[in-house]
Amino acid sequence: MSHSQKAALFNKNETKVNWHDKALWFVREKRDTAAHKIKGWEYLRELASGIKANVLSNLDNYLVQFEQNAKQNGIIVHWASNAEEHNLIVHKILAKNNAKKVVKSKSMLTEECHLNPYLEAKGIEVVDTDLGEYIVQIAKEPPSHIVLPAIHKTKEEVDELFQEHLGTTPSNGNPEYLTNEARKHLREKFIEADVAITGVNFAVAETGGFVVCTNEGNADMGAHLAKVHIACMGIEKIIPKEEHLGVFLRLLARSATGQPITTYSSHFNKPVPGKELHIVIVDNGRTDQLSREDFRSSLHCIRCGACMNTCPIYRRSGGHSYDATIPGPIGSILSPGKDLKKHSSLPFASTLCGSCTNVCPVKINIHEQLYKWRQIVTKDVKQPLVKKSILKIVGIVLSKPKLYNLAGKSARFVLKYAPRFMVYSNINTWGKARELPEVKNQNFDDWYKVKRKNNG
Amino acid sequence: MGRAAILKSIQENKPALVPLPKIDLNSFDEIVDLLETFKSNVKLVGGDVIELASINDLDTKINDVYPNAKKIVAQTSASNLGTISIAKDTDPHSLEIIDLAIVKGEFGVTENGAVWISEEQFPVRVLPFITNDLVIVLSKADLCDTMHSAYKKIANRQRSFGLFLSGPSKTADIEQCLVIGAQGAMSLTIVLV
Repeated sequence: MSHSQKAALFNKNETKVNWHDKALWFVREKRDTAAHKIKGWEYLRELASGIKANVLSNLDNYLVQFEQNAKQNGIIVHWASNAEEHNLIVHKILAKNNAKKVVKSKSMLTEECHLNPYLEAKGIEVVDTDLGEYIVQIAKEPPSHIVLPAIHKTKEEVDELFQEHLGTTPSNGNPEYLTNEARKHLREKFIEADVAITGVNFAVAETGGFVVCTNEGNADMGAHLAKVHIACMGIEKIIPKEEHLGVFLRLLARSATGQPITTYSSHFNKPVPGKELHIVIVDNGRTDQLSREDFRSSLHCIRCGACMNTCPIYRRSGGHSYDATIPGPIGSILSPGKDLKKHSSLPFASTLCGSCTNVCPVKINIHEQLYKWRQIVTKDVKQPLVKKSILKIVGIVLSKPKLYNLAGKSARFVLKYAPRFMVYSNINTWGKARELPEVKNQNFDDWYKVKRKNNG
Repeated sequence: MGRAAILKSIQENKPALVPLPKIDLNSFDEIVDLLETFKSNVKLVGGDVIELASINDLDTKINDVYPNAKKIVAQTSASNLGTISIAKDTDPHSLEIIDLAIVKGEFGVTENGAVWISEEQFPVRVLPFITNDLVIVLSKADLCDTMHSAYKKIANRQRSFGLFLSGPSKTADIEQCLVIGAQGAMSLTIVLV
């Protein structure tokens, strides 16, 4: 199914779409308020973009430096070329430790590698401990947003899920009650867990340490209780020096939710004596993206989700309509690099308004890359006949003024005199869920000529 | 397994070296009231602030705020409220029952209300997360303006584990309604001395 077809499904519930749209726009507004409080915000974005550009141009050396320093600090480093290798490595560590129960904090990488189903098939219990991720896990759905995984669920839906899975009493979706019930349940899971898996927000080449950011404290609850901690990171998470964290931590939470910083920004450098700390460094298509000059900077992404919150398409189509681990504008420039055919409709899920580019804390030119993917998609992937013919006809009409005038006149005539069922038929997508404007007799050209004449 | 292949692929695909930008701290220079800004940002992130005239009032104040706390770990000599003592070899799971932890903050960051705390102040890493409530005792003199200054302050530390902690654990994952107290501490009180 294409993005627009899936978006149509999401749009069946109008109340929900309107809520989704407004809720995310509210987050965007909070981002603005937080950003405007910071002196030198635009300079911060430039710095972040510049640091990331340097990282990509020296990535191999930074990774080696990181590995060396991490090893010196007693961290065990693994490398995985793809999702299969990543899952295999994680499972090996679990098997070696005889682990049956795993708690996981948010990691888009492990989503991308489909780690959960892989481990579950091997009889290992994996519990997602971020509340939003826990909700989508028990709903058997993927996250629909990278920062707000369950933003597509109403509180009443969460209430029902919790009744079924946690045995809660019906509360009409009381967020305090439901959060507290989840807290109790997840505390048990933290206590029982053999191994904790976390993502990595930033890995520092200079020190061999890494930083994990959460608001709930779930990454730390898992990592400090279990005897083994596995942190999984994409190769692009590297930054050169610890002082660069000052730049990125100032940008991340403000861009994501409008908070000045996440509640917990935990700096892991050494394992506790007697415990194991592993890092799995994963490529899984990232070096392919590195090779594409036009799309390389998509690897700057720090996964804040600001481009999703601001996107008029994302807000009204929902994350699941993208059918990709990373939805929204950034996902639409990352996913075609992974599977052009499967994700060929994503670069078109945009108005090219450029709002994503304007809010991106690491200045990825997202809308320009969307446009560039469109050029590739239309060349390499078969386009529907209707779309192709319409664009051809429009091309001809626009290049011939007389034909254009005639087309305009006919359209105005039809809109004015044709019966409603014809104008608002399925063919006219502009008539869906909205009234077309009142038709005037003149076009701009005629109106202008008359005006000129009257004014002498 | 993948190491050689990944590094080779990066070498083949990376662009020509782009210089690493220098951070010009002058761009962020601002005159701010460190104490007042810090206090208002702690409140913004859901924490409470108490200012003490004398450190001797610490325990009385904590008793006022957390009258029901029984199982208390106090990691500062300024407090005598501790009922459970912990050491490096304490099983972290045993801290599940802790009502209140009192730890010393190294310094606060005014721009975001965060406090740097590290393993040096709590021998068991899970303590500030697993405790039901958390008190951080911080000297008013130990405040810095931005995260840039903060990283200068910790540049020469013993690196094992530490964190910037800003407010109590929270979530808005159910319909964007902010709920304080997700998986970590339910409340945070910063006592400024």
